[in-house]
Amino acid sequence: MTQIFLRNLGWITAILTMTTLGLLLAARIPLRYNLRNLRVRWIPTTLTALAFTAVIGLLTVMLAFVSGMVRLTQMTGHPGNVLILDESANDEAFSNIPATDVGDLVNLPGLVREGGRPWVSMETYLVVNQLLPYARAGRPNRRFLQMRGVEDVQMASLVHELPLHPGGRWFSSAGVREIVGPNGKTITAIEAVLGEGIAREMAQDRSPEELAQALSPDTLLPGDIFFLGDRTWLVCGLLQSAGTTFDSEVWAKRSLVASIFGKNTYTTVVARTPNASTARQLCEYINTQYKKAAIRAQPEKEYFASLQETNQQLLVAISFVTVILAVGGIFGVMNTMFAAVSQRTADIGVLRLLGFSRWQILGSFLLESLLIALVGGVLGCALGSLSHGWTATSIVSSGQGGGKFVVLRLVVDAGTLAAGMTLALAMGAIGGLAPAWRATRLRPLEALT
Amino acid sequence: MKLFLLVLKNIRRNLLRSILTGLGTMVLVVVVIMVWSILWYLDEQTREKTSNIKAIVTERWQMPSRMPLSYAPELCAGSARRPEHVRPQDSMTWQFYVGSTEPGRLSRESALFIVATQPEKVLTMFDELDTLPPDSPDRRQLEKAIQALKTNRQALIVGRERLEAINKRVGERVKVYGMSFKRIDLEFDIVGTFPEGRWNNLSVMNWEYLNAAVDAYNRQPGNRPHPMTERSLAIVWLKVPDTRSFTAVATQIAASPSFTNPQVKVETLASGTAAFLEAFRDLIWGMRYFLMPAAVVTLCLVIANAISLSVRERRKEFAVLKVLGFRPAHILGLVLGEAMVLGVVSGLLSAAGVFMVINFVFGGLKFPIGFFGTFYIPVRAIWWGLAVGSATALIGSLVPAWIACRVRVAEIFARVG
Repeated sequence: MTQIFLRNLGWITAILTMTTLGLLLAARIPLRYNLRNLRVRWIPTTLTALAFTAVIGLLTVMLAFVSGMVRLTQMTGHPGNVLILDESANDEAFSNIPATDVGDLVNLPGLVREGGRPWVSMETYLVVNQLLPYARAGRPNRRFLQMRGVEDVQMASLVHELPLHPGGRWFSSAGVREIVGPNGKTITAIEAVLGEGIAREMAQDRSPEELAQALSPDTLLPGDIFFLGDRTWLVCGLLQSAGTTFDSEVWAKRSLVASIFGKNTYTTVVARTPNASTARQLCEYINTQYKKAAIRAQPEKEYFASLQETNQQLLVAISFVTVILAVGGIFGVMNTMFAAVSQRTADIGVLRLLGFSRWQILGSFLLESLLIALVGGVLGCALGSLSHGWTATSIVSSGQGGGKFVVLRLVVDAGTLAAGMTLALAMGAIGGLAPAWRATRLRPLEALT
Repeated sequence: MKLFLLVLKNIRRNLLRSILTGLGTMVLVVVVIMVWSILWYLDEQTREKTSNIKAIVTERWQMPSRMPLSYAPELCAGSARRPEHVRPQDSMTWQFYVGSTEPGRLSRESALFIVATQPEKVLTMFDELDTLPPDSPDRRQLEKAIQALKTNRQALIVGRERLEAINKRVGERVKVYGMSFKRIDLEFDIVGTFPEGRWNNLSVMNWEYLNAAVDAYNRQPGNRPHPMTERSLAIVWLKVPDTRSFTAVATQIAASPSFTNPQVKVETLASGTAAFLEAFRDLIWGMRYFLMPAAVVTLCLVIANAISLSVRERRKEFAVLKVLGFRPAHILGLVLGEAMVLGVVSGLLSAAGVFMVINFVFGGLKFPIGFFGTFYIPVRAIWWGLAVGSATALIGSLVPAWIACRVRVAEIFARVG
């Protein structure tokens, strides 16, 4: 239902706008008359418009959250990339490809090559526990951290098209570096590259030792350290990963990740082909003809698009709540408009005697209700738009287990605003219809007596 | 009493407005109660208990947790090696067998998430099943299914929603193709379901069946040991009487030399749940501090609007009442009373209605968040409805009531003249 509504949002908005304009033209009763009445009865007008503002503002923020999640899954992945998991895994976290099976994948046909080197990134993705002894008050004392062990970080960067922010560097081939630790002793730290989002998130629960060496109180920066898995880690770069699910990942040398966290198999192989069509051909080849390993391939874009289940569930929940709130708003505007009709019985009688038809009376009252809705809707959209760009944490998943923790930015786009205005106008139209209908049923002479 | 009768009379006088305001209040209270119920349940699940504590032992660093099954006996004993060591009151192990009813394809309609555990622990260790009343039909039905699970190793208890999704019924046989235990496919006899609620999407099998299947796979000529052989244990649950015992058991396990590769961690169920819900932190924050206030504000505005319309229309009446000897406090009470009666009645009706409809018609509120899929409206929500209805009515009607009690008799009658 929600999907049908959103798919036809343009049509619905157009029909409601046309109805409003049609009423304006057909009612023939001057718009000034309605505006004056709204001004005279400014208290109920304001209260009703404010109720609309609250409902539409809420809807805008909630839809902005979902839009942020949708954009995140849509922006992640390259059309030419093929994601290879083990044959039964539907999520990177559950995939296990033995080391013996990945070696031959560099020989797959149709891969992009540079200097004879195929663009293939071999990775181990896993979710690890980071203990947080210095977690902020009221927060759990551990967090799930998404770790990606990559065999060749520069190749991974090419395949995923994720460059570093200026000032950072990729980790060395050893993956470790000697640094002076918090207590002045030289220690061996594991080098890591962080997504921007997770760098901000991890900066919130740092120990006094980490903070003492911190370069910024708000985010981890190259040169900062953090503790994970009984080891000290050194941030050597931040990925330009905003707006993708990689924004919430920590990348490090695969062999180190495997030994520290005890996952020795690969989970993911990402291979670059020239374009979406060759990617699909390669998937077809792997899934039907490649027999050397028990693996399954799908275009990377499709994999991330499949992580929309959470978005769908949220959208359904939001629609449900919004419809209930909207019904509340409709009762509010009905009250206002019924009161307007009963207060202006004499006006209606005069208008009827002057020759205005029942339909014109109906149009005039409906227009008044739509005007309240319009003002409330615009204010609600404006208020909700303030949430554009806010960051939030959430999870995206295919609904079959697994999923990814993500840091997303709320997006208020044209679709969100159109949905807000459509709902506002629909509330105004539904709420105003019954009172306007009652106004048309008044007999002119009886109305004047 | 007379004032109260007058309040009721006034509510009846503009019945349409009263009904619309009441309906508006009711639908908005529905939103508040539903959101509140979800938040209350999540708060309850993440609130640290001081007695009857459930602890979970999992792999220290990796998620999903995968430990050797050989860890199970010592972990179930809380690593109590000396007489003075504290032993858990009860324990159970969980191994996860994820499979599909269709070969090689895991979909919403085919997926089965099965916990392999000790059958007798389902009624003593599973959250909410351990508190089923002894004589309840749900418990009797579950006891029967557990008995079948003990006697028939191929028995399977399936949650109601899952059973419906895979299009099977109790008494039928189902073949499950292993996804987490690849190449280990199992056949099951569905012997029962869980009571409606928390475990709607989970299935439970006898752990002996899974481990025998793994052993059989390893014994087959030409097979290398199954990759899950040494990492099939996901969670060990322990029940301890109080915080002191929990700390002692956690210390014993942490000090044990048996759990080094991989290392393990012990935490309370509440703490583990809180960590899982951390991913939904902002969503929960939004529900608590954004959605709820917005619903309450909308409700206040709808009530304020209705009452202010009423006050505006009845200014002459208030002036007459004042002439008849009513004091401003009486008029204030009259207007507030009208709003409060509407708010209380609508709030109560709404709460009772949402309690009945959500719990008994829809079988709970479906809102997947973490591993919670269905939420129920608690009985206490009826009081929340009353409180929200009356509080918003009071707040919404304060200003109109104040305006009503300050009506100047001379001004009103001058206009009439």
